[in-house]
Amino acid sequence: MPLELRRAFLILAAIVVMVSLIWASRFDEMPPAEFSFQNGTDPKTLDPHRATGQPESRILFNIFTGLLEELPEGDPDPETGVQPMTPQPGIAESYEVSPDNMTYTFQLRDDVTWSDGVPITSADFVWSWTRMLHPETACEYNFQLFGVQNAEAYATGEVKPGDKVEVELWDRPGETIDSEPAPQTFPRGTIVHGTLKALDKPPKPNVPEDATKEEKSKATADWQSEWLYTVDLARRDGDEILWDDVTKTVTYTKNLQTPLAKEDTQRAHNVLVAFDQLGGVEAPDPTTLIVHLRDPLPYFPYLTAYYPLFPVPRHCIEEHGKPMWTRPENIVTCGPYKIGLRKLRDRVRLVKDERWYDADTVEIESIDALSIESQNTALNMYETGELDWVTDPPVTLIEELKKREDYHAAPYLSVYYYELNTKRPPLDDVRVRKALSMAINREQIVREVTKAGQQPAFALVPPGIAGYTPAQGNRGSLEEAKRLLTEAGYPGGRGFPKFTILYNTSESHRAIAEVIQQQWQNNLNIKADLQNMEWGSFLDKRQQQKYDISRAAWNADYPDPNTFLDLFLSKSPQNNTAWKNPRYDELLSQAASESDKVKRMELLREAEAIWADELPAIPIYYYVGLNIIKPNVSGLLPTPQDTHPFQTIRLEPTP
Amino acid sequence: MKDLLGFLIRRLGWMAITLWAVYTVSFVLMRAAPGSPFSAERAMPPAIEQQMRARYNLDAPPLQQYWDYMWGILSRGDLSWSIKLEDYSVNQVIAEGFPVSASLAIFALVFAIILGVSAGVISAVYRGTVADVAMMATAVLGIAIPNFVLASIAILLFVFLIPLFPAAGWGTLRQVALPAICLGLPVAAYIARLTRAGMLESLSREHVRTAFAKGLPKRTVIIKHVLPGALLPVVSYLGPATAGVLTGSLVLEKIFALPGMGSHFIYAATQRDTTLATGMVLTYTVLLFVMNTIVDLAYAVIDPRVELE
Repeated sequence: MPLELRRAFLILAAIVVMVSLIWASRFDEMPPAEFSFQNGTDPKTLDPHRATGQPESRILFNIFTGLLEELPEGDPDPETGVQPMTPQPGIAESYEVSPDNMTYTFQLRDDVTWSDGVPITSADFVWSWTRMLHPETACEYNFQLFGVQNAEAYATGEVKPGDKVEVELWDRPGETIDSEPAPQTFPRGTIVHGTLKALDKPPKPNVPEDATKEEKSKATADWQSEWLYTVDLARRDGDEILWDDVTKTVTYTKNLQTPLAKEDTQRAHNVLVAFDQLGGVEAPDPTTLIVHLRDPLPYFPYLTAYYPLFPVPRHCIEEHGKPMWTRPENIVTCGPYKIGLRKLRDRVRLVKDERWYDADTVEIESIDALSIESQNTALNMYETGELDWVTDPPVTLIEELKKREDYHAAPYLSVYYYELNTKRPPLDDVRVRKALSMAINREQIVREVTKAGQQPAFALVPPGIAGYTPAQGNRGSLEEAKRLLTEAGYPGGRGFPKFTILYNTSESHRAIAEVIQQQWQNNLNIKADLQNMEWGSFLDKRQQQKYDISRAAWNADYPDPNTFLDLFLSKSPQNNTAWKNPRYDELLSQAASESDKVKRMELLREAEAIWADELPAIPIYYYVGLNIIKPNVSGLLPTPQDTHPFQTIRLEPTP
Repeated sequence: MKDLLGFLIRRLGWMAITLWAVYTVSFVLMRAAPGSPFSAERAMPPAIEQQMRARYNLDAPPLQQYWDYMWGILSRGDLSWSIKLEDYSVNQVIAEGFPVSASLAIFALVFAIILGVSAGVISAVYRGTVADVAMMATAVLGIAIPNFVLASIAILLFVFLIPLFPAAGWGTLRQVALPAICLGLPVAAYIARLTRAGMLESLSREHVRTAFAKGLPKRTVIIKHVLPGALLPVVSYLGPATAGVLTGSLVLEKIFALPGMGSHFIYAATQRDTTLATGMVLTYTVLLFVMNTIVDLAYAVIDPRVELE
């Protein structure tokens, strides 16, 4: 290589290093927010219909508003310090309930607008709820609306001849009659309405027994796409659909290759029960929303204050599509705050929205939701003043932190339990399950392992739900446990097959599993293996019921015992225990249709008592929510669901 | 000039082959791993899961997926949407994370080179003195201590005992300092040892002795005649060092809450985010390949005896 070239290269290298150093030291420094908190992992999405976790909910609750809002009411519980929360007027300034608890009439404020100034009307709710329920939105929380008439059938896609249906033709923007489905579900294709006259299905394909879950669900989906729907189309008169006035009869299918297709069969996306036309939700005028329930759910007002039922901006979603509408530059919101900035893995900055109807009551101008996963890092930042609120303090330091003034621990509606696979012997024997439960010393676990003041659990529903006294559960005793084990055929633990406790990888889950393993060994002479798995594989094992005993936990989706009890319904997708009890199922369905609140709670309690007696899972403890909050922050109190509306937070100037 | 061009073209060819191999292996591994990107605590009905699979083209036959995804990358540079970070495409994730990882790596490397070379030169020149022993002992420690331990000590010292730097976060020069130092120190220690060894070897060469004999000042001899030869092993180490700095940042990103690419790497794998994981693996492959090529080039430039091949 010639000398000049070599010299040139050296100079070039020096220049490159200099330039990259200069590039690397350029930062867009931004002023810190007035208030910042640890938000855990990065929020996955800001779409209320797609979000599920707590990091998402902390943001969504503050950038959108529901018909009602869950806000503090009354004084904190003197014993636990928990601030009761009740649904209070949000976008609806008032609502009325019919005497049978089946009809809710919401009166919307007439001055509410989206963050871009477009007014919010009752039609926005009808549209949002339709989107939320639509099968292709795949909203994990769509069951929260199942109490509304026709909602469940719409979301699950169940139709039968005689149903009044909507048909979405294969003409979404960008679609041709033989193209792949457009990725955007909204805006939708042309919708026609009619009555389903017949539903023809080709023979069900034979799927081999040993096919994977994916192959099975693909075979089912392929088969369903070949169904042929015969629909008597109804005449439309303006906005009104005259169901009995049949204009013509058309056949529809998703897959024109189906053997059932006729010459004039048309292609359509979905044939679904016409949810928005059958009176489940009605918008007679822009400020009135009428909801007709299928069951008299006493907790329906709470559901309207939960983010999956919040309205989403139709104009924004239809313009930008999914997921582009959630980009900070596109998103349109309707809460006390709007998105100022979103940096992946770094922060979401919330900025006060002056257009919000109650903006005068919002005190803090800007809030940073920092994506900090590490517990220690968050505490470090708190100590150096970069954070005002730690939502997940280090478990290993709990004993130290407990002594501090700014440490707040309070129970919330969440339970930690061990699921038992009741298909596998000997766990199919209720005596064995009881013996295992009685042999666990829960006091030792909460005192020596979790340490933060968790409550030992003997039943399923955590205390703290207004109007509900949880079932007692059976504490039993060691003697009784030994006796039950002997009765079941394992005197002194002899002959008891070895089994495995499955848990997802985490220090604290391991510690608890080790203690329980020890207690079973010492108290019953039963040997258990421990197996940890990372989250994805762990869920897979549980859902396919390929486990003996598995760690599990559940947070309340709404403050009602039903949120815990319906996990163990025999048809519940969450029931991984294979436990079925017809009486339990019946009690829950009775409770669902019971409009007397006291009687309803009685039924639920009876169901819980059955659960606690049969023990398809072993309850271990009820969680406490742990927060470390700067002393100059007020209005940030422990709540039953660990939710915290930011508009109530106040900062006193630090001295 | 011709051999340079030939070298670059050959390297590019190898990179393409490597990328293809990496893509294939990670594709197979991702599909072989148990669990699905859509598994969640709240179980999804099969029909909805099927729709989600269709949205990410995961319902096609594996071979079809393999080609479709590869074609997307080749024709449009499109790494598809991230499955778990729903609001982002993989390209956007990389575009947001890469500058952070890159500036951290630049600071760490520049710091490591300056500190390592200076320490190496000093201890070679003052061989056998207390300074030499102290520096080399520190270097051994620096290599031995993993950077997350270093980070904890550094935080204790420079955040809490002497409050010089913020505890974590990204966005100001002060916030970069600690993670860059923690990331760079082990590299600096290694460079110091390499430099010292190279210097000692060069110092005993005959042309160096001649230079001293001519009466050239010590400084000139060291900078002009000793250092270039001594730095050759350092330059060849820069390739692996870059790799170390880029992958070593995974842990530090967590400790210092940095929004770099590293954390996505682990996260994508554990969450079965197939698209993001593939995108990450490919990005890292390209980065390492490019860095190694540059190092090989630099090597040939510094040492005329090296031929590019």
